[in-house]
Amino acid sequence: MSSYDYIKQLLVEKHDIKPEAISPDTKLTELGLDSLSIAELLFDVADKYSIDIPDERANFTTLGEGAALVDELVQAKGA
Amino acid sequence: MVSPHGDDPDEVFERLYAGESAIRKVRSGTEDSSVDVLLAMAEFDPAGTIPKTQLFLMDRNSQMAVVAAHRALTNAKLIAEDRGPAAAGIYMGCGLGGANAMQEAYRIYYQRKSRKVKPSSVPLIMANAPASHISMRYGILGPSFTYSIACSSSAVAIGEAFRAVRDGYLDCAVAGGTESMLNDGAIVAWEALSVLAKEHPDGPAASSRPFAKDRTGFVLGEGAATLVLEEAGAARARGARPIAEIVGFGASSDAHNLTQPAVDGQVRAMRAALADARLVPEAIGYVNAHATATAAGDKIEIDALKQAFGDHARRLAVSATKSMHGHLVGAAGALEFAITLLALNKQRLPPTANLTVPDPECDLDCVPCRGRPALDLEYALSNSFAFGGSNAVLVARRA
Repeated sequence: MSSYDYIKQLLVEKHDIKPEAISPDTKLTELGLDSLSIAELLFDVADKYSIDIPDERANFTTLGEGAALVDELVQAKGA
Repeated sequence: MVSPHGDDPDEVFERLYAGESAIRKVRSGTEDSSVDVLLAMAEFDPAGTIPKTQLFLMDRNSQMAVVAAHRALTNAKLIAEDRGPAAAGIYMGCGLGGANAMQEAYRIYYQRKSRKVKPSSVPLIMANAPASHISMRYGILGPSFTYSIACSSSAVAIGEAFRAVRDGYLDCAVAGGTESMLNDGAIVAWEALSVLAKEHPDGPAASSRPFAKDRTGFVLGEGAATLVLEEAGAARARGARPIAEIVGFGASSDAHNLTQPAVDGQVRAMRAALADARLVPEAIGYVNAHATATAAGDKIEIDALKQAFGDHARRLAVSATKSMHGHLVGAAGALEFAITLLALNKQRLPPTANLTVPDPECDLDCVPCRGRPALDLEYALSNSFAFGGSNAVLVARRA
């Protein structure tokens, strides 16, 4: 499963977001999640991929950008 | 309620009346270190009551509290268009708080050696989370208070709610308690106190034996029980049927010892409750005892009952339902008071299970093994005595 698909799965299963509301261009702030839920989402993704998302990198806008950040951090970890 | 015997109060009472124990042997621990422990676990289904988007922001104790409150508010006919009584107050008891989130955070920190614990850890762990979740879920706007007084937590919560309604501060209160700490981090701490029951030769279900000669301690349980407190006329005007009437609350401190109970403090709490209810001891027909089945505790409570009730102690029926549902700690007082209200309502006494050979020093009528009718039961009392020497006693009357 790609990191984008995992993020989508979390949003659907844990945060009750409708799948049709989610695309790579969807902005994280458009989903109606409160700040604690967004923090939990980032925690779950970092936990799944055993990565550390630095605070200064957690300012991405769209889900696609978020998935690209996860992929980059995963790759950097393996390098 | 959410209890080891189920979530329907009438069904729970029938199972208790039949002397059925909900205590089981459960494997507890981690992959490389686990043991069998005796527990009274509660099964419940939050689906339909708690939105999915809130579930992961609630530890098990909060989920149980909301599920329990939902049934209480529904039975009281106080939910309309998914909202509860806006002007009500919330009084909840909880001994430890979100114990499962606390263990998970420590597990991540010590076992995975990571400082990245769940962002929701603090709001999951905080002891007032259950009360807050009830408030948010049902739009209840009055004060929401949480009492953390170990095993007396929820008895005090109900007592304080009773005073608030009786004294005119509130028209309606949701009151009770919740506790879910059946994880290994908490269990080993209880084991270290040497207060937990050993498995009985007759099996796990026979292991909690209050007042019995061969008692060895208590079994931890989990669950939540909530009541709606209001003036009886208001309930009846909505077509709701009051279960019973709460008429007195008394509290005291032992000022004696952190874990050893004391006769004097318990006597003063019972006398204070009777005085609050303006009752003479002879009015009481049934006592739901605190009786955890420790060697010292049960005898001290019996001695306290004899002092508080004098000659009438011999005519009291005293039962320890912890023999069947275990010790719910912060939820114990609420569950046991709910059982007491149901006993008044149904005019039937739940037994002390496993009381086959009584301790000669526990020589009151402890309703051994079999429930029985009590057709003249008018008033009953429920005892809760906490570590720290904090005692709370509630008195109720048949509605």
